[in-house]
Amino acid sequence: MGRKLTNHPLYTIVFLSFVLFVVIPVAYTLGTALFTDGSFGTNIQLLNLDTFSLLAKSCIIAFFIALLSTFFGTILGFMLYKTNIKFRNIFKILLLIPLFISPYILAVAWKDFFFIFFNDTNLISSYIGVILVLTTIFTPLSMIITGSALSNIDAQLEESGFMITSFRMVILKIMLPLIKPALITSFVLVFIFSISEFSVPAFFGVKLFTTEIFTQFSAFYNHSLAILQSGLLIVICILLLFTEKQNIADAPFLSIGSKGTDNKLYNTKNRNILSLLFMFGWLSISVVFPFIILFVQSFKNGASRFIQAFELLLPTFANSIGLAFSAALIIVFIGFIAAYYSAYQSGTKTIKSFDWLLLIVFAIPSTILGISLIKFYNQPGLDIIYSSYAIILIALAGKFSFISSKLIGNAIRQIPNSLDEAAQIEGISSFTRLRKILIPLILPALFAAFIISFIFSLGELGTTIMVYPPGTEIMPIKVFTIMANAPQSLTSSMTLIVFSVTLLIISGFYFLMKPLIKNYGFAND
Amino acid sequence: MKNICLKITFLILLIMTGCSDNTNEVVVYTSFVEIFSEPFLKDFEKESGIAVKAVYDTEETKSTGVLNRLIAEKDNPQCDVFWSGDPVRTIVLKNKGITSVYQSPAANDIDPVFKDPEYHWTGFSARARVLIYNKTLLEQTDIPRSIFDLAKKQYKGKVAIANPLFGTTTFHIAALFTVLGDEKAKQFLSDLKNNDVVIATSNGDVKKRVIKGEVACGLTDTDDAFEALKEGADIGVVFLDQQEIGSLIMPNTVCLIKNSPHTVNGKKLIDYLLSIETEAELAKSCAQMPLHKGVKTPAGIPSLDDIIPMKIDYDKTSQKLEEIQNYLKEWAEN
Repeated sequence: MGRKLTNHPLYTIVFLSFVLFVVIPVAYTLGTALFTDGSFGTNIQLLNLDTFSLLAKSCIIAFFIALLSTFFGTILGFMLYKTNIKFRNIFKILLLIPLFISPYILAVAWKDFFFIFFNDTNLISSYIGVILVLTTIFTPLSMIITGSALSNIDAQLEESGFMITSFRMVILKIMLPLIKPALITSFVLVFIFSISEFSVPAFFGVKLFTTEIFTQFSAFYNHSLAILQSGLLIVICILLLFTEKQNIADAPFLSIGSKGTDNKLYNTKNRNILSLLFMFGWLSISVVFPFIILFVQSFKNGASRFIQAFELLLPTFANSIGLAFSAALIIVFIGFIAAYYSAYQSGTKTIKSFDWLLLIVFAIPSTILGISLIKFYNQPGLDIIYSSYAIILIALAGKFSFISSKLIGNAIRQIPNSLDEAAQIEGISSFTRLRKILIPLILPALFAAFIISFIFSLGELGTTIMVYPPGTEIMPIKVFTIMANAPQSLTSSMTLIVFSVTLLIISGFYFLMKPLIKNYGFAND
Repeated sequence: MKNICLKITFLILLIMTGCSDNTNEVVVYTSFVEIFSEPFLKDFEKESGIAVKAVYDTEETKSTGVLNRLIAEKDNPQCDVFWSGDPVRTIVLKNKGITSVYQSPAANDIDPVFKDPEYHWTGFSARARVLIYNKTLLEQTDIPRSIFDLAKKQYKGKVAIANPLFGTTTFHIAALFTVLGDEKAKQFLSDLKNNDVVIATSNGDVKKRVIKGEVACGLTDTDDAFEALKEGADIGVVFLDQQEIGSLIMPNTVCLIKNSPHTVNGKKLIDYLLSIETEAELAKSCAQMPLHKGVKTPAGIPSLDDIIPMKIDYDKTSQKLEEIQNYLKEWAEN
């Protein structure tokens, strides 16, 4: 194994850095927290029937959210990526908005909505409310996963189907089986995001497994039991991801380039009004209604609150954007290296274990990751990391490199091996092949991975609040620490500003990168 | 390409090490509302020339960030001063051996009841637990005057309290246990539950529910109540049990962290926070009641001289809190 590693110095450096900076701290802290002073023996007895029934309840809720999100996401994905429905490019952008906003804010908006229009919040402050809010948040994720897979189906397959059977049968017998990997990926990712979500059930006062872990942390300060309980969540996530890995043939999700396949677009003429009604209906539920509430609350007493919110957030912009930008670069780099070697050297045990390490760290709840990093890095000799932004970058790289490697890995696997082989025969070095063939071909996917990593890093709160260096101002933390006691109008204004800043930056990146991607001739929308 | 890589690496390194300066400074962690605490820390910075590095959290979200961070940092503290919005969290830290002894000269005339007997923490600027009610939903004659009224049939389903596992509500309930005894306190909580009390996520949530009229009244803290009044909410504020057990008073608390890196500066910040001037400003900005004698307060801000306080020992109440937490968890969840 040692010889194989020295054959890939870049991979070795990245792999060992990830192990050293992220995996060892987590393993060390979890190990000591669980096994010191016999706490494991004491706490394992507390994992009783109630704990497991609560976990089962959380799984059921997450199951419904994943199912509904994947169902609606597939319909939306089909309409936006496989039909010529009017305004489809605008819809593609607008429907992504819920992904950019903190789930907590949307929960607040929905509760206010129910109170204003129904004068009753009991319906929303329930399991149904949790399912509703989280479904609207995660459906866009399913939409881009399944939509991208649908757009990558070779048109010849569909046309062959039409020669012998109906449109309905083509969808059921050709399209859905072909995008099965994307459907499974969508279900698994949404399930994991939902079962780990804390803020929405906490706000609605619904007891789920994450709120129980929080209680152990914040009311009983029992880190050991909280970590043990989190371990159960981690096991479930790993089992699911393992099943996904075993069952899918590398879902082509979130690939931007068309890679030479023809995407067939269907005409919606017979059902145009019905389709548009559905799109507007979904847009209203997931974006328009919550935003009207936020907007009304922001400006109901004039613009003064909005100005105050802007002044409060102004000092955080440069820090937060710089940090998210650096984190996204690191995350994309780690993701690319992991994905590249996973695709081209998939037989090596070390390379397989890198995939698993990325996955396990991804599944660790935010607070646990934060505590782990504090306990490991808060040593006199490691002050340069603990007292600087390095600790946040390590946390963000640990959390999001898995997603980035998955996005980039799927793009790499769509590149025909013949291109690389032909260049190899010509005697072109591996670095030049990488630089001149692979990277240009997957540039859109790298860009997508960068944007998603940037959005997640800019909004990350759970781990960042545990480790951010004293005296620094970071946007989501500022919003979080102010919103709890501030008037609703100030909170809503801050949310609108955070959202606008995120959208502005992403648009900026898009326009900067667009000519570059277009130069390679395969950028689509 | 190489140049770009070098530039990016340099940029990342610059950002990574951008805040590792370690000069004349003091590090403070606070769970007191950022919007109110930040101006004081900035003023101290100006007056003393000592750079203040703060980590904020909020008690509305149970101070998970700072408190768990302080516990995790126990063996190599980074923080000098912890400023808490209540005594509960400071006492948790004291019991875990995280605080240090400091008897501030600035707090000499503060009543010893608001100080730790061993000077691990000192109280200043207090809040009280109050009842707020929606004026359109409750007539003047129907307003509850005692906490025990909340268990009466006429308020069935009309009262909200925050989750008693967290924050000032948990301390309020623990105080009731110490004053009434376990049996009476449990009976009261049981009656309250049978009366369909609404359990809100936080005091802020109680305030919002009362303002909106989702419930007729609810228990919260004076700062939340006065903030709502400042925003023009149509609510009234009542100090409960003024003829009987009194209202619970909860001071802010400040403590020095054991083995802190900037102990001298930490003590200077504590002295500043405990000064008469800080209390006067806190009264103005967020309706906190001064504990120093003779501090001038704006009109409308209650004075401790006008309130019958609940007679409790903060340390003993914190001990009681640890004893009843499992009971409270069960009460809140079932």
